[in-house]
Amino acid sequence: MSAPASNPYATARRTIFVGLAVFLTAGAFVVLLKTYRGVPIFGWDYVVIVLFPLLFGQIAIGFTLALLGFFDWLRGGDPLHVMRRPWREKENEQPLAATAIVVPVYNEDVARVSAGIANMWRSLEQTGQIEHFDFYLCSDSNNADRWVEEECAWLSLCRRFNAFGKIFYRKRRHAINGKSGNVADFCRRWGKRYRYMIVLDADSVMSGATMVRMVRAMEANPEVGILQTQPYMVLGRSLFRRVLQFSSHAYGALFSQGCSMAQMSSGSYWGHNAIIRVAPFIEHCGLPFLPVPDKSRRHVLSHDTVEAALMRRAGYEVWIAYEEPGSYEEGPPNLSDMLTRDRRWCAGNLQHFWFLFARGIDLGSRLQIWIGLMAYLCSPIWLVFLIASAFSAHARMQFLTLSAGPEDLGVASPAGAILLFWITVVLLFMPRVLGIVRAFTERKLYGGAGRLLASALLENLISVLLAPVLMIFHTLFVVLTLLGLQIRWNAQNRADTGLTFVHCLVLYGWISCMGLLAQVVAMTYLGNFSLWMTPIFAGWILAPVLAWLTSSRAVGVACQSAGLFLTPEEVQPPPELAGLDTGESEDKPHSPAWIQALLSPYVQAVHLALVRLPSAGDEDEPDPAQVRQREELLRQGPDAFTGRERLRLLWDAEAVAWLHQELWSRSEHDLHPSWLVAQREAGTSPLLTDYLLRD
Amino acid sequence: MNTPANLAAWNQAHDRLHWYLETFALGDEIQVSRIALLLLDQARDLHSADPREDPTEVTLRHAQEELTRWLARQLGETDQTAPQILAGGTIALLLSKLAQERPDTFLADPAAIEVRDLLRRTFVVTGPDLTVSSMTPRHIDYGPMLGLARQTWHRWSVKTFATALLFWLGVYGICYWCLSEYL
Repeated sequence: MSAPASNPYATARRTIFVGLAVFLTAGAFVVLLKTYRGVPIFGWDYVVIVLFPLLFGQIAIGFTLALLGFFDWLRGGDPLHVMRRPWREKENEQPLAATAIVVPVYNEDVARVSAGIANMWRSLEQTGQIEHFDFYLCSDSNNADRWVEEECAWLSLCRRFNAFGKIFYRKRRHAINGKSGNVADFCRRWGKRYRYMIVLDADSVMSGATMVRMVRAMEANPEVGILQTQPYMVLGRSLFRRVLQFSSHAYGALFSQGCSMAQMSSGSYWGHNAIIRVAPFIEHCGLPFLPVPDKSRRHVLSHDTVEAALMRRAGYEVWIAYEEPGSYEEGPPNLSDMLTRDRRWCAGNLQHFWFLFARGIDLGSRLQIWIGLMAYLCSPIWLVFLIASAFSAHARMQFLTLSAGPEDLGVASPAGAILLFWITVVLLFMPRVLGIVRAFTERKLYGGAGRLLASALLENLISVLLAPVLMIFHTLFVVLTLLGLQIRWNAQNRADTGLTFVHCLVLYGWISCMGLLAQVVAMTYLGNFSLWMTPIFAGWILAPVLAWLTSSRAVGVACQSAGLFLTPEEVQPPPELAGLDTGESEDKPHSPAWIQALLSPYVQAVHLALVRLPSAGDEDEPDPAQVRQREELLRQGPDAFTGRERLRLLWDAEAVAWLHQELWSRSEHDLHPSWLVAQREAGTSPLLTDYLLRD
Repeated sequence: MNTPANLAAWNQAHDRLHWYLETFALGDEIQVSRIALLLLDQARDLHSADPREDPTEVTLRHAQEELTRWLARQLGETDQTAPQILAGGTIALLLSKLAQERPDTFLADPAAIEVRDLLRRTFVVTGPDLTVSSMTPRHIDYGPMLGLARQTWHRWSVKTFATALLFWLGVYGICYWCLSEYL
């Protein structure tokens, strides 16, 4: 395909979107400048004046997207959308094509991942189209226990659904380049076998009907390269997760709809719950290296936006299927986990700066990159803006005191300042109001009108208090990233296990101290003006309490019992989510699963089937160092091996087979006592009861 | 001769053998004991040939060899290594559920034809054949920002920059304090 042709509708809509955002920003900027008319301007005022349009621009963009989404909802959806084209009239006659469902995992809760795959399998079976779909569990786990557990879960799935040859497990020996490297590795190995791949996250679940419809949409529209669904957050029990999932339902859909309307075929790709045309993806979406001097930092961390831009560059369309139901994910269970994720996303989004000015990138993609970039850059800008505003106010007060003039000399147009305040408040909160208006039409799915409104009010309160805390951390992340400190792809914690108050005090206590100090300083030097900053100081001061309280599962469940933060999936649970909400997998003690690959014949056989023993005549003689290490393991017990050594051992099929024989047949004098305990318990290993012997 | 030390050693061998057999999750505990006693008897005969050997070592090695031989006979494998036979046969045992549903067939010799057929029919498909594609990083022209970067911040060392910034902030702070105090 050639470069994307310009679509007059897209151009018109983008003009309206950008024009409206610029108009609102320019209008507010003029009001701001008016407040300075006739008064002395201090140095800090220039900082305020320069930063204001950048900050307000983000608010205006959010407002405009929500407004467009609301308009689109009012008129019943976008008639030009790919999911509303004429092919839908004969949708069921549309043939399907070979599709891989790719589930990348990295030290995730294996029971949860496997339950999700089982539900999707059943859902696809019900559509009668299962023969077109294969599952790939693509593991990058670097925890030996997780690895062995994943293998057992894979076999269990294959056995329960008679799905050998339909569900595959692949473990990467060299897990480079994170999730994008994982998916690219799948493409290189098996991409040619499939026309499409549905990329999921470990916590993603999609209904069979939705997946079938997505494949049909791709078949009917060969110009589409990526079709992204709107994944809704589900299964939240902690207060934090429940608030997130409520807001993702009530407001998130509006933003997606607005984004789709404004961007049309230059939509977003969020890295999961999306279907991708494999051949062009392989041909055009190999991630380029970043032009930085340090070779270790050349990999693109946040791959999805760049892949969407490359797909557009190749002439394919990228759409958001915002109306499709049956697409789910789980959110972070608490503030700390969200910050861990944000730190990674921040580093990735800042890297996108390079693509903002790259040649051949579609304007729509550049807009996406800009919005993503500013999502994090806004935090340091906001912080500097606040400091500059405070200093400016202080300078103005000093000036008034020294000049002994009338008070309104400080601000020539107090009415202008108040007008600016209200414009900001309206633009900030209007998207939420519009979201609630929309949700109100299906209020029964949110527990009724009263509960919907109460949930919205509480959600706003929590968001207002959390925003300043996020601002501080995002600023830190931006600074750390710009200083070049490495950020790793950490496993996401998906369990609502709660945070201890001590953890919250250690992690957020300094923000409380900073908030208290700022409040005292502001009261001393700014007087009544500091009251404007109270919500920010309150968020900082309450940070540890807020983090602790919102992480609580008990509080979340109590809210749920009271009908607060309910979502449509809780009121009418879809079958795809059945049994996924165990919430206990993180609490139960983990048995050292990797030991079972050495002791249990069944577990070992599964492992050896996947890493493959050498055939007769191909065996290598182990070198003396390896022999010595194996002996150490026998005599010093499993704890003698580090995580890395365990992984290396598990990759060595011959060593695993040899150790199995030796562990069972050596006299107890030649074995560490812990091996005897492990042998006694091997017959009741959870790997057998939970996976291999499970019917 | 059954000395107390000897008895203890054979008891240890029995325990170890029992634990080993338990890992196969046989559906009948009595069958586990029956097989254990049979293998122990055979191990005692082997041990009498070389009494210096540890009973546990003799028993468990014998049990593993017996299992491998039995699986090789059922699977009809001749060109595979012992670990391969053991791994492949164990998978077949697991998937056929023989040990759980028909524990009497475990290590039974000669095995019934349907048992042999069931084990031979059972296999795992671990992955489809590779159909290798080349997915290489795409070239992209980063435009004017790259030129600008190469001439400016790509030449900086972050540490040098941070040190210089701190130095000048210090200088500025001292000057500001002096000016506000003394002027």
